Amino acid sequence: MTDLVIVGAGLAGLLAANLAARRGASVTIVAQGRGSLSLSHGCIGLGSLPASDLAPEHPYHRAGKHRLKPAVDFFLEAAHAQGVKYLGTTDSVVRLPTAAGSVLSLHFVPATLAPGDLSHPGRTLVAGIQGFRDFDPSLVAAGLRARGVDAGSAELPHPGPPPTRDWYSTDIAARFERSWSAKEVGRLWRPSLDSAGRLGLPAVLGLTAQDRILSALEEALGITLFEIPTLPPSLPGLRLERALRRAALAAGCRLLEGSAAIGRIDGRSGGARTLGVSAVTPAGPRTVEAGATLLATGGVLNGGWRAERSGRLHESVFDLPIAGPENRQAWIGPSLFDPHPYDRYGLSVNVNMQPCDRDGRPFFPNVFACGGILGGADRRREQNRQGIDIVTAYAAVEAALS
Amino acid sequence: MRTAPALAEMCLKCNICTSACPVMAVSDEFLGPKAVGPQAERFRHPRAHVPNASVSWCSGCGVCSRVCPHGVPVTELNIQAKGKLAEQNGAPLRDQLLARPALLARFAGPVAPLANAALQARPARYLAEAVFGISRSAPMPRFARKTFRDLEASRQTEAPRPSARPAVAYFHGCSVNHYEPGLGQLAVRVLDRLGFDVWLPPQGCCGLPLQSNGLFEAARGYARTNLRGLAPFAAAGTPILGTSTSCTLALKHEYGAILGMEEEACEIVAGAVFDFFEFLRDSVPQPLDPGSLQPVPMRVVYHPPCQLKSHAIGLPAYDILRRVPGLEITLSDSECCGVAGTYGLKRERYAVARAVGETLFDQVRETAPDAVVTDSETCRWWIQGLSGVTAFHPMQILALALGLEENSPRMRRPDVPR
Repeated sequence: MTDLVIVGAGLAGLLAANLAARRGASVTIVAQGRGSLSLSHGCIGLGSLPASDLAPEHPYHRAGKHRLKPAVDFFLEAAHAQGVKYLGTTDSVVRLPTAAGSVLSLHFVPATLAPGDLSHPGRTLVAGIQGFRDFDPSLVAAGLRARGVDAGSAELPHPGPPPTRDWYSTDIAARFERSWSAKEVGRLWRPSLDSAGRLGLPAVLGLTAQDRILSALEEALGITLFEIPTLPPSLPGLRLERALRRAALAAGCRLLEGSAAIGRIDGRSGGARTLGVSAVTPAGPRTVEAGATLLATGGVLNGGWRAERSGRLHESVFDLPIAGPENRQAWIGPSLFDPHPYDRYGLSVNVNMQPCDRDGRPFFPNVFACGGILGGADRRREQNRQGIDIVTAYAAVEAALS
Repeated sequence: MRTAPALAEMCLKCNICTSACPVMAVSDEFLGPKAVGPQAERFRHPRAHVPNASVSWCSGCGVCSRVCPHGVPVTELNIQAKGKLAEQNGAPLRDQLLARPALLARFAGPVAPLANAALQARPARYLAEAVFGISRSAPMPRFARKTFRDLEASRQTEAPRPSARPAVAYFHGCSVNHYEPGLGQLAVRVLDRLGFDVWLPPQGCCGLPLQSNGLFEAARGYARTNLRGLAPFAAAGTPILGTSTSCTLALKHEYGAILGMEEEACEIVAGAVFDFFEFLRDSVPQPLDPGSLQPVPMRVVYHPPCQLKSHAIGLPAYDILRRVPGLEITLSDSECCGVAGTYGLKRERYAVARAVGETLFDQVRETAPDAVVTDSETCRWWIQGLSGVTAFHPMQILALALGLEENSPRMRRPDVPR
């Protein structure tokens, strides 16, 4: 028997686990693999719109925007305690280049990414590393130039023999941690720096030692350095995922990794309450009895809800209905980069973060939801995906344990 | 149930497995779980040659399957591809030997002092490396003179016997039977103290070493023997406990998912098998509460073996040891210790296996604990041999907390030739 079972191990699920453990609850996380947090840029966006512009059913309103500050503070503390430092404030944004040549506005960013803010003066050199094909510096530099930043690009050599297979960002990170010295790299790179005022590199400066490696390189090169998140594996996302998972385990949370969850309803209560979930483990289903269940399963792309050909939309653990038109054509926008109605689909919750039917009645008193499974927001356009994860996790844990 | 190759279609190439693979992190020889698994699967055909031998670098630790968010059985695909390679190219005599620990021990056990002296002697290890390709540097356990089954002969039974107390069956595995009978006897005492009668069903090697070395047909033979021996216990509702996390994973999952055993007993047995601490945590009605445990003033690093994590039961030993007063536990940050059963014992893999373990060995050096605690025997021997810090099974710590051991338990150190 566990106080709280959390389904999902992305930003919302892992943060909720840490929050609940901090409040003294026993926590079990059931996760089908690692969340897409480890594929992400690892930054925290709180959104560009004022709260008054958001619909009343928006997750920010449900969770209570006054919870944003304590929720973010808790997040920062948890990440810092695991050696992942963030910089930023809740009321200003950092504008960072992406590997695809675009720019994101974010509120909290890892310290190694922060100097990439577009407002920095001086010439920026964006550099790739020879043999690493997942990062195109010229694409990034072109994107920066289009936004008025004086930027150039280069491919820098690396110490040691050339790769004998494709290098992933993690392979280079391991080399920075184990074999390439800052001195050696500095000697190789210095001739290519010209008059650059700062150097942007793909985020490959180690999995755990990024701060130390970055300052050693800065010292060796005599220039400001920053990381730019790459295609997956994305180190800033991996570092954050790892930090929150380690913190949860160290706080005593139980993690059932690699198993799907099926909700269990208490028959004796006439279907009024839930008993927890069945975890589908390699040995078959094993029961995880819990006082409360928190759904942190993500949106449709993360498996939190599913769409059937019949047009039925349903949540994937308790099979709760998701409101949406039966006509499948109505789910998607006219073209790929348009807004899509399905972006806003998801569970609708009350202020206690309990999933509710269309009349606003909770399906179960002891089921709660947070993060991407919640409907009512277009996270991509609002740029508040992480803000929603963090504040709804905070509100849901508060409600589930009260 | 959908087969592993069919599930390969679920792969989105997200690289979550790539970034979690401990072998890939230290070796360029291995193209990675995604590349040799779901990606290569589309070029495989039941009657065609395995197109790329890189898959042989997979240690089978299982992390890729566990972290996949789309349910792709990456490890299972790769182990099957390794089996195909072995079939295609033939497995060397060395693999055939390492894959049969019970057979080895049957010859070495009666002459244990001699065999152990040989394992310790440098010239013999050079010879074993030159002739068989068994790394001369890999730590090796000692053979016991008397097997666990002989020592506990009165508990052997072909079917559950009537008893006043609740009964459990013990799957001891080769390591307890041939190398560490004392650990098995301690398990029996712990269970007895907690109010259980312990029976020893007929059983042999679980077959996992054979499976890991690609010798599927032989592994299926072992699996059949075990299913026959364990089925009466499972059918009678007697929980089957194991202290070796890899044997229990084989019984729970791999007989069906990798070896493709179709016996009805396969599913019944899988459902009845529990890791020793999983059972204590989840099924013992009177939980081991901190008030009833004696203080064990030690600082330890707990390293959960990969095979345990693949059970998806959390870290039951950690959950229980956290209740022991005075015990200070640091959780290992490492995905894998490197040895992965017999992988690290092979001359050509030893360096990679050791490099995989470096993250853990570094943590052990920094933490400077009194001991490392880990459930799996091969991890324990490997970590103890290479880090120089004594490694215990978590049960040995629990036995201390239950007052079953007076002094600090002392395991013999595996012999590392110097």
